[in-house]
Amino acid sequence: MTDHNGFAAGGHGAPALEVTDLVKHFPIRQGIVFKSTVGQVKAVDGVSLTLRKGETLGVVGESGCGKSTLAKLLVGLETPTSGGISVRGEDVTRLGRSGMRRLRRNVQMVFQDPYTSLNPRMTVGDIVGEPFAIHPDVVPSGGRRKAVQDLLDVVGLNPDHINRYPHQFSGGQRQRIGIARALALKPEILICDEPVSALDVSIQGQVINLLEQLQDELGLSYIFIAHDLSVVRHIADRVAVMYLGKVVEIGTETEIYDSPMHPYTQALLSAVPVPDPTLRGHRDEITLEGDVPSPANPPSGCRFRTRCWKATDRCASEEPLLQIRHGAQHANACHFAAPRDVVHAVD
Amino acid sequence: MGRYVIRRLLQAVLTIFLALFLLHYLTSLSIQINGNPAYAFFGGQITPTQEQLRVVAERYHTDHPCLKRVGDPCLSNFMDTLGRYANGDFGQDLRFRPVSDQVVMRVPNTLRVFAINIATWAIAGIGLGMLAAVRREKFSDYLIRAGTIISGAVPTFLFVLALKYLAGVWIGGWLRDHLGDDNVLSIIFRPSWDEAHPWLTVILPGIALAVIGTAGITRLMRTSMLENIRSDHVRTAKAKGLTGGRVLLAHTLRNSLIPVVTLIGLSLGGALGGAVITEGLWNIRGVGQFVFNAVRQNDTPIVVGVVSLVVICYLLFSLLIDLLYAVLDPRIRYE
Amino acid sequence: MSDTQTIEATPPTAPVKAGPEKVRGLWSDAFHDLRKRPQVLVCSAVILLLILIAAFPSLFTGKDPRDCQLERFFGAPSADAWFGYDQYGCDYFAMTIYGARPSIVVGLLATATTFILGAVIGSIAGYFGGWVDAVISRTIDVFNSIPFVLGAILILAIWRSAGDTVWPLILALTVFGWTGGARILRGSFIEARGLDYVKAAKSLGASDSRVMFRHIFPNAMAPIVSLVPLAIGAYIEAEASLSFLGLGLKPPAVTWGSMISNNVPEVLAGHPRLLIIPALFLLSATISFALLGDAVRDALDPKLK
Ligand SMILES: Nc1ncnc2c1ncn2[C@@H]1O[C@H](COP(=O)(O)OP(=O)(O)O)[C@@H](O)[C@H]1O
Ligand SMILES: [Mg+2]
Repeated sequence: MTDHNGFAAGGHGAPALEVTDLVKHFPIRQGIVFKSTVGQVKAVDGVSLTLRKGETLGVVGESGCGKSTLAKLLVGLETPTSGGISVRGEDVTRLGRSGMRRLRRNVQMVFQDPYTSLNPRMTVGDIVGEPFAIHPDVVPSGGRRKAVQDLLDVVGLNPDHINRYPHQFSGGQRQRIGIARALALKPEILICDEPVSALDVSIQGQVINLLEQLQDELGLSYIFIAHDLSVVRHIADRVAVMYLGKVVEIGTETEIYDSPMHPYTQALLSAVPVPDPTLRGHRDEITLEGDVPSPANPPSGCRFRTRCWKATDRCASEEPLLQIRHGAQHANACHFAAPRDVVHAVD
Repeated sequence: MGRYVIRRLLQAVLTIFLALFLLHYLTSLSIQINGNPAYAFFGGQITPTQEQLRVVAERYHTDHPCLKRVGDPCLSNFMDTLGRYANGDFGQDLRFRPVSDQVVMRVPNTLRVFAINIATWAIAGIGLGMLAAVRREKFSDYLIRAGTIISGAVPTFLFVLALKYLAGVWIGGWLRDHLGDDNVLSIIFRPSWDEAHPWLTVILPGIALAVIGTAGITRLMRTSMLENIRSDHVRTAKAKGLTGGRVLLAHTLRNSLIPVVTLIGLSLGGALGGAVITEGLWNIRGVGQFVFNAVRQNDTPIVVGVVSLVVICYLLFSLLIDLLYAVLDPRIRYE
Repeated sequence: MSDTQTIEATPPTAPVKAGPEKVRGLWSDAFHDLRKRPQVLVCSAVILLLILIAAFPSLFTGKDPRDCQLERFFGAPSADAWFGYDQYGCDYFAMTIYGARPSIVVGLLATATTFILGAVIGSIAGYFGGWVDAVISRTIDVFNSIPFVLGAILILAIWRSAGDTVWPLILALTVFGWTGGARILRGSFIEARGLDYVKAAKSLGASDSRVMFRHIFPNAMAPIVSLVPLAIGAYIEAEASLSFLGLGLKPPAVTWGSMISNNVPEVLAGHPRLLIIPALFLLSATISFALLGDAVRDALDPKLK
C-alpha cells in the first residue's frame, strides 16, 4: 500500500524535505517607466511533494513546465507566492537571515549548464572554496585549501588542479566542480537541475554514477530533475511527472515505468528510447499533438486536455486532483486514469 | 502598428524636449559658472561699453537674473527659448539674418556631403568587409583590417587637409595643367568647393569625412558575414547543392546587411561633428561651415541655435528611420 | 573583509606542485597572447615614449617653447633646432615636445572620467533594474541624441575664456562621452545578473556585496576595460580636433592641434614642415592607441575571432 505521495510502505526514512501547495507566479509587466501587471506566468501552481532521507525523487516534465522554478524555490533563490517548504520539519518560507543561512547549508543545488554555472574569472580553488568563505565557521581558514582538495578528490578530480580556471576543463569535469561546490557545506539535500542534460551522452553515465556513489557514501537525499524519463530511471527511487506547473502523477520507479496511469506519463514513456532491439517497433507509439500551452494562460480544468486523446467535457470543467484512484497503487491527476504498458512489447 | 507609431511619436517628442532642456541647462550652467559670455564675445581684451553689453545680452538672452545663480535651471528662460524655437526663431547672425533661413539655405549642400559620405561607407565598408570575410585570416584580411584601423585613427581635419593639399593642389594642379580647367577630373580635384559644381566638388571632402567611420562598418560587415556563413540556413543551402557564389549572395549578404545598415544610421550623428570641420576647411556652404565660422568668430548664440536645430532634425530623422524599420520588419513593433 | 579571503591567501600547509602545463587566468592569458604580437610591442613602445615626453618634456629638450625671437622666423632645421623655427621664431622641436602633454593628459583623464562615471551609472542601472534602469536608460538616450562633437563645441564655445587649463575640455568630453561606457556596463550587468554562477553564489548565501564585487563586477568590467586604449586614442583625436577649431587650450599653451591649425596658411607659403611635424606626432599617438586597442579588444573578446 502506498500513501498519496507514492511511498512504498517501510521504504526510506523520515521526511527530509516537505513541500505543500507550493505556488510561484511571475507577474508579466508592461510599460517603459511605469509598469503595470498585465498577467501572471503560473510557473509552479500548487505542487506538493515529500522527499525522504536517503532517497532520490526524480522530477520529470517537458521544458517550460516549471522544474527549474521549483528547484530555485527549494534552495531559496526565489520566494514562493504561497505554500510551504519545510526542511526537517521546520518551515523555511518564513525564515529570517540567519535561518536562511542554515537552510542554505542543508539544501544545495547543482546547476544544469556547467559552462555558465562557474565564474570564468575564479580558480577552481576559489569556486569550490567559496562556500567556506561565505560560511567561515565551517572550516577554519587554515584548513580550507586542504578541504577543497579533499572535495576535488571526492568528485574524482585531480586535487593538484586547484589553481586552474574553468575554461581549462571539459564539460563533465566542470560539472564535477559544480558538484564539489554543492557538497562543500555538507548538505543533506541536493537539488540537481538537469545536471547531465548539457553533457555528452558518454559523459552522462559517469556523472550519474558519481552522484549515486556520493549518495551511498554521504547519505544524501536528491531531487533529480530531468526533461525525459530515461535519465531518471537509473537513479530515482520515486518519480514525479510535471505538466504546466502541476504534478500529474507520482509513484515509485516501478509504478511509473511499469504501470503509468496518466496519459501524459504514458506519452513521455513512449518517447523513451528502448535499449532492447527486439522490442523496437513493437511498442505503443504515442505522439503528442500541438504545443505546450502558455503557462500564463493555462487551459481550464485539466491542463493536459488540449493535447489528450481521452479528453471530454468533464476535463474542461472539473480539475482532476492528484490522488489515488480506483485500480491504482499510486497517485495521479486524471479523471480517466487507466494503466497502459508502453515500455514493454504490446504483442 | 498604430499603437507603435503613437508610442514612438510620444517618445520622440519627449526626447526632443529633454535634449533641448539638456542643451539649455548646459548652456545656462556654463554661463553661470563662467560669467557673462559677452566678454568672450569681445575677445576678453577690450572692455565693452554698457550699451554694447546690453545689445549682446539681448542676443544671448543673458539678461535674466537666473543666469547669475549657479545651478538654477532657468526654467522661464527655457520656456521663452522653446517658444522662440516653436516659431522657427533660432536667433540671428551678426548681420541680423535669421539663423533658420541660413540653415535652410545651407541644408542642400550638407546633404550632398552626407550623400557622398554614406555612399563611401556603403561601397568601401561593405565591399571591404565582404572581401575580408571571404578571405578570412589571409593576407588581404589582415591588410584590410590594418588599413581601416590606421586610416580611422587619422583625425578628420588632418585627412581633409591632406586631401586638400595632395589631391586638390598637387594632383589637381597637374590635372588642370594637362586637361584644362573644365575637365571633370580637374573639377573633382579642386581644393575647395565651387557653387557652380556643387556635386563634383563635394566628392573629395565627402570621402574624407567618411574615412573615420569606415573601420567600424568594415569590421561589422566582416563579423556579420562570418556569423551568417556559419549559420544553419546557409549550411542547409549548401547541402542542397547551391553553388558557393549563390549561397553567399542569396543568403549571407541580405542577412549581414541589416546590422550594417543600422550602424551606418547610428554613425551619421558622429559624422555631424566631422562635417563642421570638413565643410569649414573645404569652404562648402553647408550647415557645418555655419558652425565652423560661428566658432571662429566667437559667435556663441549661433552655435547654440544651430546645434539645437541640428539636434531636432537628427531626432526627427531617427524617428523616421525607426518608423520605416517598423514598416519593413513587423517583428520590431512588438519588442 | 574576511568574506573575500581566498584559498591562495591562506598559507599553504602542504605546498602542492602545479601540473607541468602553465596555469593562467583569462587576463594573463590575454596578456601572454598580446606579448607575442609585434604590432603590440611597437605601439606600446611609442605610447610609453609619448607618455614619458608628456610627463617630463624637459628631459627631451633644454629649450623653452615660449622663448621666441622674431629675428629667427621660419629658420630652417639645424643641429641646434632640429625642427627649425616657426613664424614667430619659436623653437619648433621644443614646441612639439611640450605639445604632447595636453593631448596625453586629455586622452588619459577624459578616458578615466568617462569610464568611471559611465561604469558607476551603468552598474547602478544594470544592478537595480526596474524604474532606476528605466530612468537611466532614458537619460542615456537623451545624451546620445546630441552628437558628441557638436555638444562639445557648444560647451567649449561658452567656456572659451577659461584660459590655459584642460578642465573645460575634460568636462565637455565627459558630459557627452560617459554614455558609451554606461551602456556597455548596463548591458553586461543585466547579462551577468541572470548567469548561473551568480545564482550559485546566491544559493550559497553570498551577501549582495560579495555577489557584486566577486562575481558580477569582474566579469562585467571586461568588455569596458578592453575598450580603454581605443577610447584614449579617440579622446586624443577629439582634443586635437577641438584645439584645431580654437576651442582647446588657449595660448600660451602649446598643443599639436593648435600648431597644425596655426600653420595651415604656411603650407603653401613654402613651410609644409610646420604642419607635417605636429601632424606626424599626433598620428603616432592616435594610430598607436588604435592598433593597440584593436589587439587588446581581440585578446579579451575571443568570440570575435
Ligand atoms: N524570472 C522569471 N520571470 C518570468 N517568467 C519566468 C521566470 N522564470 C521562469 N519563468 C517562466 O516560468 C515557466 C517555467 O520555467 P522553468 O521553471 O525554467 O521551466 P523548466 O525548468 O521546466 O524548463 C516558463 O514559462 C518560464 O518562461
Ligand atoms: Mg529548466
